[in-house]
Amino acid sequence: MAYLRSAPAHAYTDRVLSRLLRRHVPAVLAAAAFLLPLVLMISGSLRPTGLAPPQGVDLVPADPTLDAYRRLPELVPVWTWLRNSTIIVALAVPVTVLVASWAAFGIRLLPRRPRRIAVLAVLAVLLVPVTSVWTTRFELFRMVGAVDTFVPLVAPAFAATTPFFVLIYVWSFTGVPDAQLEAARLEGASAWRLWQGVAMPQAKLATLAVAVLAFTTHWANFIDALLYLDSQSLYTLPLGLQLLQLLNPTDWPLLMAGAVIATAPAVAAFLLAQRLFLDDPLRGLRGRRT
Amino acid sequence: MKAQASRSAWVFLTPYLLATLALVVVPALLTFRYAFTDFTGLGPARFTGLDNLRRMVDDPFFAASLRASAVHVAIAVPLRLLTAVGLALLLAAPRRGGRWYRVAVYLPTVVPDIALALLFLWVLNPIYGPLNQVLGAFGLPQPTWLATVWGARFGVILMLLFPIGEAFLVVLASRRALNPRLYEAAALEGCRPWQQMRHITLPLLAPILVLLAVRDTVVLLQVSFVPAYLLTDGGPSNATLYLPIYIYDQAFEFLGFGYSAMLTLVLLAITLVLVVLQILLVRRWRVLR
Repeated sequence: MAYLRSAPAHAYTDRVLSRLLRRHVPAVLAAAAFLLPLVLMISGSLRPTGLAPPQGVDLVPADPTLDAYRRLPELVPVWTWLRNSTIIVALAVPVTVLVASWAAFGIRLLPRRPRRIAVLAVLAVLLVPVTSVWTTRFELFRMVGAVDTFVPLVAPAFAATTPFFVLIYVWSFTGVPDAQLEAARLEGASAWRLWQGVAMPQAKLATLAVAVLAFTTHWANFIDALLYLDSQSLYTLPLGLQLLQLLNPTDWPLLMAGAVIATAPAVAAFLLAQRLFLDDPLRGLRGRRT
Repeated sequence: MKAQASRSAWVFLTPYLLATLALVVVPALLTFRYAFTDFTGLGPARFTGLDNLRRMVDDPFFAASLRASAVHVAIAVPLRLLTAVGLALLLAAPRRGGRWYRVAVYLPTVVPDIALALLFLWVLNPIYGPLNQVLGAFGLPQPTWLATVWGARFGVILMLLFPIGEAFLVVLASRRALNPRLYEAAALEGCRPWQQMRHITLPLLAPILVLLAVRDTVVLLQVSFVPAYLLTDGGPSNATLYLPIYIYDQAFEFLGFGYSAMLTLVLLAITLVLVVLQILLVRRWRVLR
């Protein structure tokens, strides 16, 4: 400390400054690099259409305009696409939350050994690649006449969308003490009451995480829409964007405006729950005694 | 009491079990059956034994597809993992506003892949795209990206370097779980930050890193579909005809359900072999123990 006091004041501030720089500059650079796609997407959508190829760098448009957002609904039925995507998400997210939490609560009620086997089985399903069921799943949906409806797009929600969501709840319910379940049961609570009144209130953060992730997954679902939807009146936003690209392959402001519209809800949902994901993910999800 | 609990356990599990049976197990089993037929999606399936396998061996497109997938995984998995681990360790340390740096890194992961693909179609456009503008401003060569074999391969990989949030999050959480006492002790012994990373952090995270490598290999082998479908549609000269693209083309463009089922089995087998190989390799390095 004596050293600090005897050193010239500017040397001290220099050192504080350089420590600050060392600590923050790499982090700022990393964050900037990963914000770049979103920034480019937005700035690209604010550009006037039909400009000559730019000479030199013009990442920020000289005279930004909302023209692309005005033209988009005139050229393609973007409202219909938004409505269809919203319907699917509104059905798929609650179903995912219910099925995932039920399955995980079922696993929680199992005795120790079957419980471990069940968790391993869920993990195994996680490894089954989606491509391996594309064609045959299509075959099954065609047999029941569900092609070109929303059924195949919502159906994965009944399998919890991904086994990963079941695992989130399994992890969360391990924080619910046995004694609490036992006590509630002795008071005559049904299994349904245990799920609704004891387990779920302690897994609110897991519910938030699963809901947000299920939202982004179904909102972005391109492959199922591509495989199953034929009628343009049923197109979802991702499939509509592909159509837009086929129709106007070089109208970049228009395409970027479409991309921004598809991205905004997912980003908003994520920002709602970011605290949960990024502060201390594991502890955050674990059930809490309240 | 116990028996009653078990019974209600199965009631809660029923919806998930039924849906998984219908959407995953039955289709997966059907894939095995179709792989040995000439099923086209129309009309009855005829059992043709190993015909599909023979056709596959002589199929130049399958060979090209295999090569494209192999190159893709060999370059993309290490790059993605390196980026995710590097960023997670950089941003794990507590600092003022640290959460917002992590939010920024995670954001591209929630962007729908169709939107990200549209963005990169523009970014990589040789004439209008911002990337070549920047390269030009520095006097660097301006490649035609998606029109050349390696340009297309690296274009797709460049895009896939952004949605790495999943691995980023896992490393972040695992780094948090490491005992801070270890680092205090190391610092007392005069261990520099770089040495701490080399001798404490990386060895302790090794099992997680292996898991992430396995997971990323599986993911990239299976679902590199959307970027390639939109950016390059398999081209140029099949450089990005990844296996999922070829499987999709066979099933839904050429109506070769039987043949595509056989291709799917091959993809499954390759995935399985790679996963086992990675685990074995790492066990030999003794980082798992």
